[in-house]
Amino acid sequence: MHRHAPYPLFLFLLAIFALPGDARTIIVCPSCEISSIKKAVDIAADGDIIEIKKGTYKEGNIIIRKALTLRGIGYPVLDGNNETEILTVIADGVTIDGLQIQNVGTSYTEDRAGIRMKRVKNFKVKNNKLFNTFFGIYLEHSKEGEISNNEIKGQAVQENSSGNAIHLWYCKNMLLENNHATGHRDGIYFEFVDSSLIRNNFSEHNLRYGLHFMFSNNDNYYKNKFMNNGAGVAVMFSKKINMWENIFEHNWGQSSYGLLLKEINDADIKNNTFKENTIGIYVEGCARINYTHNDFNRNGWAIKISGGCLDNIISKNNFLSNTFDLSVNNNANDNKFDGNYWSEYNGYDLDRDGVGDVAYRPVKLFNFVVNQTPEAMVLLRSLFVDLINFSEKVSPVFTPKNVLDNRPAMKKIKNLGSAN
Amino acid sequence: MASLLLSACTPSPKDIEYGHDVCHYCKMTIMDAQHAAEAVTDKGKVYKFDAIECMVNFELENKDKEYAFLLVNDYNRPKKLIDARSSYFLVSQNIPSPMGAFLTAFENEKAASETKEKKGGEIYDWDSLKNSGIKGIKK
Repeated sequence: MHRHAPYPLFLFLLAIFALPGDARTIIVCPSCEISSIKKAVDIAADGDIIEIKKGTYKEGNIIIRKALTLRGIGYPVLDGNNETEILTVIADGVTIDGLQIQNVGTSYTEDRAGIRMKRVKNFKVKNNKLFNTFFGIYLEHSKEGEISNNEIKGQAVQENSSGNAIHLWYCKNMLLENNHATGHRDGIYFEFVDSSLIRNNFSEHNLRYGLHFMFSNNDNYYKNKFMNNGAGVAVMFSKKINMWENIFEHNWGQSSYGLLLKEINDADIKNNTFKENTIGIYVEGCARINYTHNDFNRNGWAIKISGGCLDNIISKNNFLSNTFDLSVNNNANDNKFDGNYWSEYNGYDLDRDGVGDVAYRPVKLFNFVVNQTPEAMVLLRSLFVDLINFSEKVSPVFTPKNVLDNRPAMKKIKNLGSAN
Repeated sequence: MASLLLSACTPSPKDIEYGHDVCHYCKMTIMDAQHAAEAVTDKGKVYKFDAIECMVNFELENKDKEYAFLLVNDYNRPKKLIDARSSYFLVSQNIPSPMGAFLTAFENEKAASETKEKKGGEIYDWDSLKNSGIKGIKK
C-alpha cells in the first residue's frame, strides 16, 4: 500500500500550486539567488508577485507578458543607462508599484518610455518615481487603468528632445490621480482618450502645457494645479470636457495662457482660479461653453475671445484686478455675460439689491488699439489712454454693443476657488 | 544700400524657434522638429506651423495667397526644412504627427519608401496629398 502513498501527496501539492489566487512571491535583490528582474519575470506565472528589494538594477527592455505585480521595497532603482526603454507591459492585470525608474535616453525615431502599457486593461501604475525618462508613463490602446501617486521628473530644456510625463493615446476609462509631473514637454497628454478622470494632479515647469487634450471626449479634470508651464492647459478639438476647481497660475509669456480652448464645445468650466497669467483663458472657435464661478485674479487678459465663438455663458465669475477683463476681436460673437463681479466696475446700486444699476462693459477701447498694434501696450498707464477709455465709456463707438453685463454684482462672489 | 533695400523685399524663410513659436493655424506651441512646417508668401510674410497638416489646411483656406516658400521638416533630419513641393509624404498609423493626420515628410521617394517598409502606410506627393482627403486634412 505504501507504494501508492506518494501519488495522493503529489496531487495534493499540485493542487496547492495550481490553485488560483494562491500567488507566489518571488524575491529579487542584488545578493539574492534571483538578482535580475528579467529572470524573475521569466520564471513567474500569472498572479505572482515580484518583490524587488532596494538596490540598483541596470536592466532595460523588461517585457512583461503575464499578469504580475512588481512591487519595490525601499525604491529599488531600475536604470536604463540612457539607452533603452525600461518596462513594457503587454499583459492585462499588471501592477507596478514603488519603483524608481531612471535614465531612458532620448530618441528621435522612437518614443521611448519609463513604463509603457500597450494594448492592456485592468492595470495599476502607482507610487513610482520616474527620473529623466524621456516619456514617463506611456499608455497606448489601453483601458480601465489607474495611474496614481507617481512622481515624474524630466530634465527637458530643449523642447524637441523632450517627451511627455504621462502620455495617453487611444485610451478609455482611465484614472489619473495625485501625480506630480514636471520638466517635460506636456505634463499630461491626452490624444483620442475618452471617459477618463484627471484628479488632484500637480503639473509644473513643463515646456509646453501642463495638461493637453487633443481629440478627446467626455473627460473630467478637477482639483488639479497647473503652474509655471509654457501654458497651463490646452483643450483642443474635443467635446464635453468638464473642468472644475483647478488652479491655473503663473503661466507668463508672450503667447502664454492659463487655459487655451480651441475648437471645442459643450464644456463646463466651473470654480477654477486663474491667477497671474498673461491670458487667463484664450478661446477660439468654441461653442456652448459655460464659464461660471471662476476667479480671474491679476491676469494680463482675463478672457480673450477670438473668432466664431457662439452660445457661451459667462456668469457669476469674479474679475479681480486684471489689466484687461475681456478682449473680443469680432462683433459676431454671441456670448452672454450675466451677474459677474468686476473689480473695475464703478457703477452704483441705488435700490440696494446687490446688482449694479448700470451695465458694465468689459471691453475697453484701448483693447482694440492693443489688438491692432501690440506695441501700444507701453501707453497702458498713461493719461491719454485713461482719456480715450473714458470718452468711449461716455459714448461708445468702437466697443461692441452686445458685450455687456447688465447685472454686474456689487460684491465679490463667494466662489469655491476664492480661497486660493 | 540698394542691396539692403532689395534684401528687405525678397521673401526668405525664417528659422523656427521650437518651444517658442506658435502655430499660426492651430495656436499650439511648435515642439516637434520632425513635423513642423513654414510658408512664406511672395510678399515675405512668414507663417509657421507645428504640423504639416496645419500648413496644408492653411493653404487650402488661403488660395488667394502666392507662396515663395512652402517648407516642411524632413523626418530623417530633425529641424531641417525642405521644399514641400518636391517632398514625398508618408501617412502611416505608426508615426503620429501633432495634429492627428499621421503625416510625415521625406526629401525623396527613396527615403519615404524606406520608412514605409518599416512602419507601413501610403506615400503621397504634395499635390496628391492636398486632394487625398486623409483624416486631418480638409476636403
